[in-house]
Amino acid sequence: MLVVRDLTKHYPKFTLEDVSFSLEPGRIMGLIGRNGAGKTTTLKCILNLVRPDGGSVEMFGRDFPSHEVTCKQRVGVVFGGVDFYQHKRLAQITAVTKRFYPEWDDQAYARYMEMFALDPGKKVNELSSGMKVKYMVALALSHGAQLLIFDEPTSGLDPVSRDDLLTLFQALVKDGKRSILYSTHITSDLDKCADDISYIKDGKLLRSAEKSEFIRSFQHLQQEDEKGELTLEEIMIRTERMSYHV
Amino acid sequence: MSKLLYKELRLAAHPNLYVFTLLGALVLVPAYPYGMVFMFGCLGPFITMNYCRETNDLYYSALLPIGKRDIVKGKCLLFAAAQLGQVLISLPFAFLRVRLLPMGNPAGIEANVAFYGFGLIIYAIFNFIFLTEFFKSGFKVGTAFLLAIIPTFLAVLAMEVLSHIPAFAWLDSVQTADLLRQLPILLVGLAVYPAAMFAAFRIAAQRFEKVNL
Repeated sequence: MLVVRDLTKHYPKFTLEDVSFSLEPGRIMGLIGRNGAGKTTTLKCILNLVRPDGGSVEMFGRDFPSHEVTCKQRVGVVFGGVDFYQHKRLAQITAVTKRFYPEWDDQAYARYMEMFALDPGKKVNELSSGMKVKYMVALALSHGAQLLIFDEPTSGLDPVSRDDLLTLFQALVKDGKRSILYSTHITSDLDKCADDISYIKDGKLLRSAEKSEFIRSFQHLQQEDEKGELTLEEIMIRTERMSYHV
Repeated sequence: MSKLLYKELRLAAHPNLYVFTLLGALVLVPAYPYGMVFMFGCLGPFITMNYCRETNDLYYSALLPIGKRDIVKGKCLLFAAAQLGQVLISLPFAFLRVRLLPMGNPAGIEANVAFYGFGLIIYAIFNFIFLTEFFKSGFKVGTAFLLAIIPTFLAVLAMEVLSHIPAFAWLDSVQTADLLRQLPILLVGLAVYPAAMFAAFRIAAQRFEKVNL
């Protein structure tokens, strides 16, 4: 579904270095790391929103930059909910969006809008954060997206909305045809619904693996008197912990 | 191409763009510096580009299954649709003016053949500088506007001043013989406008490819 190899991007004060991972069909991958670690830059590089300095992105078996338009036909992207056209009605945005997708299915769109209790007559700024993500999911599913990329989809959501969204994510990949790649720093979300974890620290990929294998590989962080496996949160905190000499 | 323009007209365009496009009808005002019509034709796209920045229009566009070049193409199409639409809207009013107000425009150039030729050249100057400058960053609307509007205003000023110089009185005329004499200016405008738009598209697209969104 998605193969990222040695993705590199240099900024004056930050470098994303040789990030590599792959995502198989029917799986949910969580991209974790603290704020500013390079998660969003990675996702933007994958989608060519940010031009990488090196590396390659293969999507649906094709080189993404060379087949950008056809690959994007099969991708749904949500970067922080809908943060565009705040004063436009959903129906108006949909009317434009659908024209760009030959595979657009009006019936499916109506079904998802109803399923997510979304009113097409509402304006974007009248939606809650969770509903904005759901609207983007409805758009993505209506054009048959197989790869869904989310950047911090659960940030700022209340626990119930977060749980609701994660349940939806699991349902989306259930048939094994779709995959989800989502960045987050809320590790409890990943405990619930991620199959694979990729961990970025200071622009470098520390590890990318199936969740239980990922957790096992960090057990060296465990203290002598501790029993049981470390949680993702403990792994992150212990890996990132700083010491201050003031 | 039609879906790009449709998207621009339905989501990207500020309502003001439509109002300014309709201001092509100003050529019916008895005494008015008609060069302002073309200034409105530049202000409309500028306000829309500001609106695009506020609504994250480029971001929405970048997530659609189109390339970055198509985003630039969409803006070029929108500019052309608004400006050429404004010229087309003004034409019947220019004809009507000659019938209804034969005494001429004391405030500036007549809405004649030269006027439309100059207008297309004025638009070409604005579009080329604005679009190529804006797509260097994808967000610096003010800088692009400032760099573009100064030479655009000077061109408008030159048009208005020329029509007041006795030696160029034929530029300020709606007599058939003078209209024919003005024809080369219109032809230059008709050649320069698409050429500048095409060049602006190519350079702007090249620059925008390198922009990190």
